[in-house]
Amino acid sequence: MQADVFTYRNPSASAQQGPLKGKSFVIQPNMSVRGWHTEAGSVALKGFIAVEDATVIERLDKAGAAMVGSTRMSELGLGLHGDTTGLALSGGETDMALMTDMMGEARITASRIKTYGFKPTSGIVSRFGLIGLVPSMECFGIIARVPKDISLAMETIASYDDRDFSMYSGEMPSFSQVTKTAEPITTIGIIKECLETLDEGETRAFRNGLDRLKVLGYALNDLCLPDFDIVGTVHHIIGSVEASSSCGKYDGVRYGHRTAAAVKNWNDMYIKTRAESFGPLIKSYLFQGAYFQFENYAAFENASRIRARLVNDLDGLFKKVDAIAFPTGRRKFQAAARTLDDIYHECSLTLLANVMGLPAVQVPGLVLDGNTDLGLQIIGSRLSDARLLSLVARVSNTAEGV
Amino acid sequence: MEYEAVIGLEIHAELNCATKMFCDCSNRTGDDPNKNTCPICLWFPGAIPRFSEEALEKATLTALGLNCTIQERSAFDQKVYYYPDLPKGFQLSQAHLPLARNGWLDIIGEHGQPKRLRIHKIHMEEDVAKLVHETEGRTSISLVDFNRAGVPLVEIVTEPDMRSPHDAMEFIRALRTQIRYIGTSECSMESGTMRIDANISLRPKGTDQLNTKVEVKNMNSIRHLGDAITYEINRQTASLRVGEIIVLHTRLWDPEKRATVPMRGKFEGPCVPDPSVPQIAITEAWKKEMHSRLPEMPSQKADRFIKHYALTPEEAVMMSAERDLSEYFEAVVRHQISSRTVTHWIATQLLPALKERNQNITDTPVTSLRFSELLAMLERNEINANAAREVLDYLFDSDKSPADLVEHHGFRQVSDTTQLAGLVDTVLAENPSAVSDFHKGVAKAMGFLIGQAMQASKGKANPKLIREILTRKLDEDKIIDRNLH
Repeated sequence: MQADVFTYRNPSASAQQGPLKGKSFVIQPNMSVRGWHTEAGSVALKGFIAVEDATVIERLDKAGAAMVGSTRMSELGLGLHGDTTGLALSGGETDMALMTDMMGEARITASRIKTYGFKPTSGIVSRFGLIGLVPSMECFGIIARVPKDISLAMETIASYDDRDFSMYSGEMPSFSQVTKTAEPITTIGIIKECLETLDEGETRAFRNGLDRLKVLGYALNDLCLPDFDIVGTVHHIIGSVEASSSCGKYDGVRYGHRTAAAVKNWNDMYIKTRAESFGPLIKSYLFQGAYFQFENYAAFENASRIRARLVNDLDGLFKKVDAIAFPTGRRKFQAAARTLDDIYHECSLTLLANVMGLPAVQVPGLVLDGNTDLGLQIIGSRLSDARLLSLVARVSNTAEGV
Repeated sequence: MEYEAVIGLEIHAELNCATKMFCDCSNRTGDDPNKNTCPICLWFPGAIPRFSEEALEKATLTALGLNCTIQERSAFDQKVYYYPDLPKGFQLSQAHLPLARNGWLDIIGEHGQPKRLRIHKIHMEEDVAKLVHETEGRTSISLVDFNRAGVPLVEIVTEPDMRSPHDAMEFIRALRTQIRYIGTSECSMESGTMRIDANISLRPKGTDQLNTKVEVKNMNSIRHLGDAITYEINRQTASLRVGEIIVLHTRLWDPEKRATVPMRGKFEGPCVPDPSVPQIAITEAWKKEMHSRLPEMPSQKADRFIKHYALTPEEAVMMSAERDLSEYFEAVVRHQISSRTVTHWIATQLLPALKERNQNITDTPVTSLRFSELLAMLERNEINANAAREVLDYLFDSDKSPADLVEHHGFRQVSDTTQLAGLVDTVLAENPSAVSDFHKGVAKAMGFLIGQAMQASKGKANPKLIREILTRKLDEDKIIDRNLH
């Protein structure tokens, strides 16, 4: 199994002294560890070995975490096809996993193996060393079997890093003893427009989850977010544009794959190299991005405007409630999602947090319909990360985790 | 129909920051290829640009010095195009929200009239790598030097206010003076720290329409800029006369053919907001601090020189046109030398001497201190002008003080009247024909006799005293003559 799960297995993964002593992590091969193969699941980076540690890796290392190895991942993290992070966790290879969350991947993977997943507020965890695709929407996500491990990991990795100039430079949430220190969440909102997108089974499961929240003493409020049904489109347009730009660097000049075919000149080298570097899914995403850049910039501007409007609307909603609940996963998803539509459907309930840069957590065991556990997703306001993690501890059946 | 040229310029100036714009690599492009590079400017996967505060400061100072309004909010965009000189497939530039808008510079127009030329906007951007295309046998090879990739630039975009090559050349001269004064860029077209694209179109004289323009690149001196514009105006005029349509495109100035040649259709890539470099918000307090760091600009300085040092307007402009020179001038004047003497000696002696030796005012061994010592001796009549010129010559090659040089070479001026009177007597005795010429009213004779006396003193005589003594003695001669007749 090992060979199928890992692209790189660390021969010297051993526990060291520090707050994370005894905790193990797997990461994805788009997270830089000096000397490790870091190919991000793409031919574009064939043979690429990272030259520096990502800030997150450096901090985990210093805190005594054992770095087990790199999993397999989808090409450049687009979609979950071929990703083995869930397998590494359910196979008992690790306590925790770092997973790139650009439209909900960490939360969805956690929901499928019935465990905990967390996406922090954008800008509180350094992206330095993350080989990303959509800078304004992606971040390091955390999957863990024990809720308090997430707080432990966040306490280690979340703080300002002067190598990531795009970070939030104000006061960071405190992740130490969140159940005691974080202001408790008491009211949770449900977005009417979200309910309208759920099928019968999903609705049943979500209602069950909401009932459990009520039983646990949370006040539930109905909310309206008229733009909810186009959040996916906003993500798709902005995401494809950012991906197109992010992949501009894969030109075969400085690193990664370069075509072996005979070439006439540099331009020919570019074209052949890039044609060989990407799989069909990424290619179609990059084409779409280039289309919006070169041919339909107005659509990108509209998407950016709607995004700004969503920020305002959500600010308004967070005046009424402390957090908002959604199911995490969809009932119907293609195990091997091969089209962009498949991917956007499977992430349709999670990508709002990415578009908005909001913190979100996935909790297992609550949104149930028979044997199906879609996962409960709670999205909080900006920087309410610790409050979300404190809520997870309260609503979970066991402090020890699953 | 008579046509009128409409010319706008886009000027790229490299800021002389210590580091590149988004990483800590040295901003030195002359080093060995690819020496000043790092994972950020080579755009390795996982790298994040880190905007340099120095670049923002120098860009802001430049914009303020060009009379622009700094925008409260500006942001970086990705200018997307694929070329090996761009390590990330886009260039970080400010397309949508530039740093500064609405500036101007004054020039003197062709007919001596003052003319204000407007600046549309100034934005920051990173420079691209340098490409060298070679062929090895029949294989073409492209080499990339990333030392320049990420070097901080400002792009200055003018309004299409210029009407002639003269306007454009004067604008660039004025711009260069201003920026060198501010000290944020060397602005050398020759070495490529200033690069200019000229946009030129024609329209029937008297109308105010803006027609399709042609962009001209690759001028590496102000003179070439003027020549390229002249050529392009003539070329477009000829095209219009035979009814050809002007197409938007880019042309290169070929200095050997002295002509512009077509390069490509004008390319405008898309510009997308960059998600990784935060927007720049400028506060009033910071803007005030930048204002306070601006040096006194040339026109203000010239006014002050007229007022404080009683220079003529021409002298004041000459002494203030370059910051280093103006500081040298003031340093010498501060040693109690008359400002007119300083101006005269800098303009007629020092500057030509520097030019001859290929030195400039900041690196010459003739420091302002040594130069002022020399002029002080001249003003005290310890040496004469001839001697001062010779001592100046020695100052370039010797580290002795001017006083030591005067002593060593025996330049000290002879002002002892008894000694000089003896000398004059000898000269008069030896040159009876010149003396009689003088009495016949031949004006040249006086000059000849002074020359002889100076020669006899080996150049050390005080020429003023020589003239006085000569005049007196010749007058005495006349009286004696008259008495004899």
